Amino acid sequence: MDPVERLYLDALMEDPEVPARSLRPQLLAGARARRRPAAPTAAWAEPYAGRVAAMDALLASAVDDDWSRIIVEGWTLQELVAHLAAKDGLLAASVGAPVLGPPIGAADSTSRTHDVQAYERARSPEQTRRDWRAQADALCRHLADLPPTTPATLDGLDAPVNDHILARCLETWIHTSDAAETARIRLPDPIAEHIHPTADLCARLLPFTMLFGGVDGAGRTLHLTLTGEGGGEWRVALGVEDAGPGEPDAHITADVKKFCFLLGGRGDPADFPADLEGDLALARDVLATAPALSTP
Amino acid sequence: MPVEAPYDDRLLHQRVVGGDESALGEVYDRLSSLIFGLALRVTRDRVIAEDITQEVFLVFWERPLAFDPERGTLRAWLATIAHRRAVDHVRAEERRRVSALGPRLFEREPVRLEDTVLAADEAQRVRRAVTSLPDGLREAVELAYFGGRTYRQVGEELGVPEGTAKSRIRLALRRLADALAEEEV
Repeated sequence: MDPVERLYLDALMEDPEVPARSLRPQLLAGARARRRPAAPTAAWAEPYAGRVAAMDALLASAVDDDWSRIIVEGWTLQELVAHLAAKDGLLAASVGAPVLGPPIGAADSTSRTHDVQAYERARSPEQTRRDWRAQADALCRHLADLPPTTPATLDGLDAPVNDHILARCLETWIHTSDAAETARIRLPDPIAEHIHPTADLCARLLPFTMLFGGVDGAGRTLHLTLTGEGGGEWRVALGVEDAGPGEPDAHITADVKKFCFLLGGRGDPADFPADLEGDLALARDVLATAPALSTP
Repeated sequence: MPVEAPYDDRLLHQRVVGGDESALGEVYDRLSSLIFGLALRVTRDRVIAEDITQEVFLVFWERPLAFDPERGTLRAWLATIAHRRAVDHVRAEERRRVSALGPRLFEREPVRLEDTVLAADEAQRVRRAVTSLPDGLREAVELAYFGGRTYRQVGEELGVPEGTAKSRIRLALRRLADALAEEEV
């Protein structure tokens, strides 16, 4: 900020005054009416609830033109929100939470996305936003009472519900970032406590991304260092059937957020910024196959 | 020169964007007396100043992405909104009073405030107010704000203890605040 501006504001704020009564309770009540806070949920689902609230904050500032602007995959912002609602709905259905939108027919995410987008195109963007948010919040509330290991299925993939919800968190985060980029809005990162479990899921997915990427990582071990808030260290057995990690064959050091986004299909593995050590060919294979599970 | 917000600001911002209500409460606890003081100084009405304070924090909650921590502190951003609203209020009051008095002898141009709090003439006003400070206070403020010095460095350059430098800057700010508030209404 300009020094004159700072001086001006500092001068005006000298001699702090206190309101006669605390406005805090009134403020928080008013805040709830203006913008819904993150839905209350189980601690392990909070990263997802937080990303839903962040996406909704972005959508709150969207005006007419913004809704029809293409964001990714040839989808408008409204269609992108419908896509998020479609996949959230499939997970909701799998754990018995409310599903909004058209009745579920084909249960793969591509068909469901197609159905929900067709349904939402006939409605206003605000209706699409409202139902996406209502379904996400209902899912959060439903998860509050479920054990994290409850089995769930999405797109034919069986996994505990806490892993599925972290995947939904990552996807919501990435698409919010896509939309923010189009709107030229700087999106702050999630807090470290929300990034860390998401990064942990990404690290645990590596054996599967290797497999789906057509590279056999069986018997090999990766030492992964993710830097930045929410980062950490992981030792990952790269074969899906490996009993556990052994001595590391290769070491990758990268930024935690960039690494999560790489698995989400953002960024080119070929020029991904990372420090590689040990078996470089293996490390490059890990990066090259990292986006293998990413879907729209 | 843009000043990046401190870490705490960035964290509170991240939490508010993520829909964490308790972060809004923390922002309120930390900054409400400053914002209220600013609104009160301009409006001189405690009830109006309370309304403005409330509104300023609600704007941050409702549209948190409008704040960009890479372009300044949260304190300055909230203060800018508070100041703009307070000035708008005072001007609306003035217009109302004038029209209640019947035919106007002179008409003021309707004022459109710039997006930034300080239009060029306001910056001029601040510079004039700084110039009219007594030498000891003026030097301290100039070193701190225009020279980007810390309290300690200001003390060293003026040959006084750090605490003295600090109290001179505070005294200067108080005088400036009075001068600027006098002109405001």
